[in-house]
Amino acid sequence: MLKRLNESPRLEVFIAIIIAVVSLTTALAAWRASMVSSAAGDAIRQGLIDALKKQAAASEDWRRTYEEAGHAQTYAVALAQVEAFENSGDKAAQAQAATMRQYLLPNLQLVSELTTDERYLKSDGTYDLDLRFADLEAAVPDLGSLDPQASFKLADQYSSEQRWLTVGVVLLAISLFWLALSQLSLKRSRLATLAVGVGIYLFGLVWFGLVELIFFSVRGGAL
Amino acid sequence: MSENPTPAAVEPTERYKILIVVLTMITTVITAIVATLQADANIRANNANRDSQYYAILASGELHRSGLQSSYDLNTFAKILYETQTSLMMQFTALQSEQGGDKFGTALNKISALAAQSRADKLMSFSIFFTDERYAPKTSDGMPDTEAYLKDANAKATEIVEQQNAAADEYHKWSRKADSYVGVLTVMAVAFFLFGLAQALTGKMRLVFVIFGVVTLMAASSWAMLILVV
Repeated sequence: MLKRLNESPRLEVFIAIIIAVVSLTTALAAWRASMVSSAAGDAIRQGLIDALKKQAAASEDWRRTYEEAGHAQTYAVALAQVEAFENSGDKAAQAQAATMRQYLLPNLQLVSELTTDERYLKSDGTYDLDLRFADLEAAVPDLGSLDPQASFKLADQYSSEQRWLTVGVVLLAISLFWLALSQLSLKRSRLATLAVGVGIYLFGLVWFGLVELIFFSVRGGAL
Repeated sequence: MSENPTPAAVEPTERYKILIVVLTMITTVITAIVATLQADANIRANNANRDSQYYAILASGELHRSGLQSSYDLNTFAKILYETQTSLMMQFTALQSEQGGDKFGTALNKISALAAQSRADKLMSFSIFFTDERYAPKTSDGMPDTEAYLKDANAKATEIVEQQNAAADEYHKWSRKADSYVGVLTVMAVAFFLFGLAQALTGKMRLVFVIFGVVTLMAASSWAMLILVV
């Protein structure tokens, strides 16, 4: 019966159909692996763009912080001078201090946020630059909340998926080879090679499906 | 005519056919493994490339920040030196005015000295060179440790640059591997071609191409092993 089956022209047609199905599946699998690779590349690109934007924003915030720190320092130094004049006992100095307190200090104070907001004033009379920087960062949440590491993590997931999908594609390619062998082989070994080909194909298919399922759930439903 | 059956001789067209099929199968499996390794090396190269670019961005940002901080700190320190010198100079001038009997000049110079000294004292509270124990002068007339400050100021940027260099080296390593695997795959394709040709030929030429194919396959496999190990 096996011999009859081996020599049956219907088997040849069946193998040809199987080869067509496996070819199509391999092409689809290769397309999916390529898509995942592309998604990894997109995530990397997005991460780098975010990193650049975030860094540019941070640099600008540091520049502004130190610019304000310079103005605040000028104010604090002028205030120290006024206080020294006031306590000097010298009438001319006291008169100069009164004028400075009335006209100079209010204007110097207006230049920097550090001098107008008491939260920034430290107990030693200096200013909390780190707090000011944090406030400046928080003032532009769109840029401050950018998280390049999240994009890189996503890229790592896609890359990992691509690795395992490539193994799946290779399995499908091997099954295609065995099926082709079955089509060309001697009649007595045709059924055996067909079985091996179909077996590897099914294993490859299950492998591919599992990999997709696992990474699909890891990404919370994102393709 | 004899009716005894003659022993079945292997047809010339069938000779070595099974061997070629087996060799082609082995080549397919090795090619599949190398293709997987190539994909893996490519992914690792991409990730290292990404890391190296990311660290470069971080390093440039840190250099900018530390530059701003150094500028602020050194500027404050320069102001302290200036105000201290001015105060000292005005005190000398006040002394000279006093000796010359110039009361008005003496008072004016004393106020100027007082102003400069009060500014210098306040600036000291803003200066890392006088508030941080790591850099503050060890004696009352000593100078701050600016060398230690500059070393520390660049420490973080240097650390990031080292990470960036390591990532760039990693990228070059995996990129070279990925490129080499492509070379192996090309040689594998040649082996496939030779086995295919052997399958199509008959007689001695079939064996010759089988040998060529085996040599090519072994060379490619050795190359792949070398890339994997080194």
